[in-house]
Amino acid sequence: MVGAVEEAQLNRLENQVDNGGGGAWEYLCLVRKLKVRRSEKVLKHGLSILNDPKQRSKLGGEEWTLYEQVAIAAMDCQCVDIAKDCINALQRKFPESMRVGRLKGMLLEARGSWKDAEVAYSSLLEDNPLDQVIQKRRVAMAKAQGNISGAIECLNKYLEIFMADHEAWRELAEIYVSLQMYKQAAFCYEELILCQPLVPLYHLAYADVLYTLGGLENLQMSKKYYASTIDLTGGKNTRALFGICLCSAAIAQLSKGRNKEDKDSSELHTLAAKTLEKEYKQRSLTKLPLLTATLRNLKLPS
Amino acid sequence: MAEDLVLDTAIRDWVLIPLSVVMVLIGILRYFVSKLMRSYQSPDAKVVKEGQVVIRARSLRAAANFIPLKSFRARRAYFSNEENGLLYVPKGQVPNAQAQMFSDPNMAMDMMKKNLSMIIPQTLTFAWVNFFFSGFVAAKIPFPLTQRFRSMLQNGIDLSTVDVSYVSSRSWYFLNLFGLRGLFSLILGEENATDDTQRMMQMSGFGFDPTKSLSAEKDSLDIVQHEWALPKFEQRAEEVLRRLVS
Repeated sequence: MVGAVEEAQLNRLENQVDNGGGGAWEYLCLVRKLKVRRSEKVLKHGLSILNDPKQRSKLGGEEWTLYEQVAIAAMDCQCVDIAKDCINALQRKFPESMRVGRLKGMLLEARGSWKDAEVAYSSLLEDNPLDQVIQKRRVAMAKAQGNISGAIECLNKYLEIFMADHEAWRELAEIYVSLQMYKQAAFCYEELILCQPLVPLYHLAYADVLYTLGGLENLQMSKKYYASTIDLTGGKNTRALFGICLCSAAIAQLSKGRNKEDKDSSELHTLAAKTLEKEYKQRSLTKLPLLTATLRNLKLPS
Repeated sequence: MAEDLVLDTAIRDWVLIPLSVVMVLIGILRYFVSKLMRSYQSPDAKVVKEGQVVIRARSLRAAANFIPLKSFRARRAYFSNEENGLLYVPKGQVPNAQAQMFSDPNMAMDMMKKNLSMIIPQTLTFAWVNFFFSGFVAAKIPFPLTQRFRSMLQNGIDLSTVDVSYVSSRSWYFLNLFGLRGLFSLILGEENATDDTQRMMQMSGFGFDPTKSLSAEKDSLDIVQHEWALPKFEQRAEEVLRRLVS
């Protein structure tokens, strides 16, 4: 994931390049390093470098990496012809390469000819059965065709071998959430929390899923995970603050009949409510009455 | 005996500097040769899977306190289950890995190539140094040494009264051998085949033994006590919010 420092640097470079200052090549390198998806800009600036023979020869060996990057960006922007030209140039230079074969498969995908792309990928996988990127492209293809269960199957098979790939776990979690298979999604988010325990995004998502699952135990756990998100983000995450209020309200409702001893963490939701009001006062004063009305309707236990 | 020998500057010009330059050049040559000779070793599916399993088990151990107890227990059972746990390796298979490494022709060839590319230049350079640059004092080590080092550092010098700090060019060769690694990583980039010292360390602790690391992971996983860290987070969140509100 991209940190704040790198994001600032990226934005600065982007502004610089957009407004006519130099530095297109550094911008493209940074995009490639951070694996950010800025296809339009990459296409525009990459093409400007490639079409200028003087700048192209200055790149030397890196020229081919640029071709690859521009080809992928072109496919993302549906400029299939540009992509085709780039891939042809690469094919002339590296005839037997697997990377070029992969790009050709992606071109078939971009055109929509799924069967041919599937054939191309299978033949590549025969030579090299452990290539991660191609297996992931198959998952993406299944997802693009709308075959979500096929995508889940492929992804599960992929994860059986490459079980330390947290991007794949994240994708699987999002697919499960879209299919409302919350228990499986919770499992995936737990994997993500295990890999990177101090990333608040995963705590937040896990708390959301637990809250959706419902049930007293899940609600209590969800409240704890919202609290950990608040802790990890220093109280700035509005969604977690709302989550705490909702959880407390739901727990209070569920345990109305029971005689639960007062947990001293009941301070948390009042504090969360106050923080929310403060935030709204600072940022969007017009919505403040809406907020106070909602909070009052939640009937938070005091 | 603390007399100060005056060493001719010609020694510096004709011994120390040429020796270093030659070693750098040989290192670069070896790097390019190894790049040419490197055969693409396709990764074995089983090895890859085991590597990933180890990574996953390790992260489970490291972050166990962040997930609820039930999930942790479920995962631990999944890993160290007696029948089909991922980390469980039946006892009979354990000594296989080493035998397998020798019998697998690909791996043996690879190791031999790597060893040769390291041994031959070293031997040749060493012989060359001994032949041309022996029999005189080459340098003075700035710190005093004990008499035990005399045989190692002063091989060509047959005077037993010379201070041990005065060494022959053989020790300069060894110094360069270990010291130029940093220089090589500057010139040649991170991955270079001249990492002799690393390779020597690797050879002494014998290669990648997957089954041993699996059972090691299983043992450490069994030891882990789960202590759910989330309640603490709740209190910390309270404090954070309190500070924000007030």
